[in-house]
Amino acid sequence: MQQLETTSTFDYQSEHYKDAYSRINAIVIEGEQEAYDNYRKLAESLPDSKDDLLRLAKMESRHMKGFQACGKNLSVTPDMAFAAKFFSQLHENFQRAWGEGKIVTCLLIQSLIIETFAISAYNIYIPVADDFARKITEGVVKDEYSHLNFGEEWLKANFESAKAELQEANRQNLPIIWAMLNQVADDARVLGMEKDALVEDFMITYGEALANIGFSSRDVMRLSAQGLAAI
Amino acid sequence: MFGLIGHLTSLDHAQLVARDLGFPEYADQGLDFWCSAPPQIVDTIKVTSATGQQIEGRYVESCFLPEMLAAKRIKAATRKIINAMAHAQKHGIDITALGGFSSIIFENFNLNQIQQVRNVTLEFERFTTGNTHTAYIICQQVVAAAGQLGINLSDATVAVCGATGDIGSAVCRWLTARTDIKELLLIARNQERIEILKEELGCGVAIALEEALPKADIVVWVASMAKGVEVDPKSLKRPCLMIDGGYPKNLDQRFNYEGVHVLKGGIVEHSLDIDWRIMQIVNMDVPGRQLFACFAEAMLLEFEKWYTNFSWGRNQITLEKMDMIGQSSRRHGFRPLLDLNAAPLVAKSF
Repeated sequence: MQQLETTSTFDYQSEHYKDAYSRINAIVIEGEQEAYDNYRKLAESLPDSKDDLLRLAKMESRHMKGFQACGKNLSVTPDMAFAAKFFSQLHENFQRAWGEGKIVTCLLIQSLIIETFAISAYNIYIPVADDFARKITEGVVKDEYSHLNFGEEWLKANFESAKAELQEANRQNLPIIWAMLNQVADDARVLGMEKDALVEDFMITYGEALANIGFSSRDVMRLSAQGLAAI
Repeated sequence: MFGLIGHLTSLDHAQLVARDLGFPEYADQGLDFWCSAPPQIVDTIKVTSATGQQIEGRYVESCFLPEMLAAKRIKAATRKIINAMAHAQKHGIDITALGGFSSIIFENFNLNQIQQVRNVTLEFERFTTGNTHTAYIICQQVVAAAGQLGINLSDATVAVCGATGDIGSAVCRWLTARTDIKELLLIARNQERIEILKEELGCGVAIALEEALPKADIVVWVASMAKGVEVDPKSLKRPCLMIDGGYPKNLDQRFNYEGVHVLKGGIVEHSLDIDWRIMQIVNMDVPGRQLFACFAEAMLLEFEKWYTNFSWGRNQITLEKMDMIGQSSRRHGFRPLLDLNAAPLVAKSF
C-alpha cells in the first residue's frame, strides 16, 4: 500500500503560494469582518444576549487583526475586493433577513454556516500552515467553537418555533457555501487544503450543530447535503 | 454501549443502500461525493445474550469505499476511518469495533499518530479491531469443518494465505499450539516477516500460493487473492476446505468445483435474534443472527464490561486472549458459522 503523507513542505515565499494566499487570506479577513458586523447587528435584535454578542463581535475583530498579521508576515497584500465579492451573496441574505426581523435566518447564516465554514477551513489549514499562521489559527479555532455554540444554544432553546425557518434558510444559503468553496478550490489546493476534506469537515461540524439544535439524524443527513449534488 | 464501524463493499453497493434507506441525496452520487461524505449513525442495535443480559449499540457508517484505495484517494480513505472513530466517541460509545477495511487502514497508515480530530482527542482504548475473536472463530471453523468433511487434522496440510497479518499470525499460532496438523504452509508477500513468524512458531514452510494450493487439504484465506492468479481446479486436493476470511466474501464463486468446500470465515451465528437491519444490507444469509466476528467482539466486550482495546496493533494476539474471548463468545451464545458453500456475501439489489 501507498504511504500516507502526514507532513507536507511548502515554499511559503513562492509567488505561486503568495498569489493563492492573497485571496484566501483576504477571505478570512473579510469573513471575520462580516462576523464582527453581524454579531453587532444581532446584539441590537437580541437585547437579552446583547453582552454575549458584543463579546463575540470583539473576538471576531481580534481574529481579523491576527489574520492581517499572517498576510503581512508573508508579505502578501490581501485581495479585499475579491473577498467582498466572495461574501456578497451571504452578506445580502443576512442584511435582508435582518431587515425583515428574521433572527433565525440571521443566526443560521452567521452562527452556523459562516462559523462552520471558518472552523472547517481553519482545521484543514492548521496542519499545512506556516509556523506563524499556525499559532494564530489554533487560537482562533478554539474561539470559533464557542461562537458556533452560541447559535446552537439559542436555536435549541427556540427549536420548535425556529424549525421551519431553519429549513428554509438552509435551503437558500447552504448551496451558496458549496459555490463559494468551488470558487476557491484551486487556491486552497495550492495551500495544501483539499476540497473533499473541506467539504467533509464542514458537513461533520454543521451536521453536529444541527443535531445539537434538535434535528433528527435523517434530517441532518438531508439538510447538510442540501445542494451539494449540484456542485 | 457498543459500536460497530462498517462500510459498504463498493460504490454500486453504497448507491443501492442509500436509495434503500431513503437518502436520495446520497444515492446518485459518484466517488467524489463519498470522499466528502461525513460518518453517520445509521442503526440502533439491541442484543440479548444467552445469559439473558441485554445491551445496546450503534452502527456507524464511515462512508469509506474500497474504490478510494484503488483510486489512490488515500487521504480520503484515512479521514473516513478517523472521522468515524471521532463520531463514535462523541456519541459516548464505550467500545467500538473497526470492521471491514477500517482496522487494516488504521494499521497500514499508522493512524495512531493522528489522535487529535478537530475538537476531539481520540481515546484508542475505546476501540478494538475485533481480530482476536475473528482469529478464534476461524480456528474453530477449521477444526469443526474439517471434522464434517472427514479431514483428519493429524494428516492435513494447512495453508494460511496472509500468514503474517494480525489474524493470519494468530491462526498460525493457535493451529500450531492447539492442534496436531501435519504441516503448516505460510503464504505472505513479505519474506522477512515470514522468517520472523517461522522462528516464533518453530515450524511452518514459506511457500508461494501457486505451489501451496495443490498441497493443501485446508486453505485459510485472510488476505484477498491477488488478481491474475490462475488456479487449475484439477490440481486441488479432494476434499479441500477453503475458509474465506476476506471481505467481501467471494471465494466460492472462484472455487465452485466438486469436492472444494468454501466456508465463510470469521462469521458467527448468535443463538438469539439481533434487533438490527444492517446485516441485511451486507446480505448475510440469516441477517438476524449472522454477523462478522469482529463486530461480535465489541458486543462481547460490552457484555463483559471489558472496556479496553482488546485487539490492537499488529501481531499482539496471544493464545490466552483467544481463549478468553472464546469463552466469552460461547457464554453469550455465539458459535462459528458452519454452513459449507453458503451463498456469497456480495452486494445485490433489493
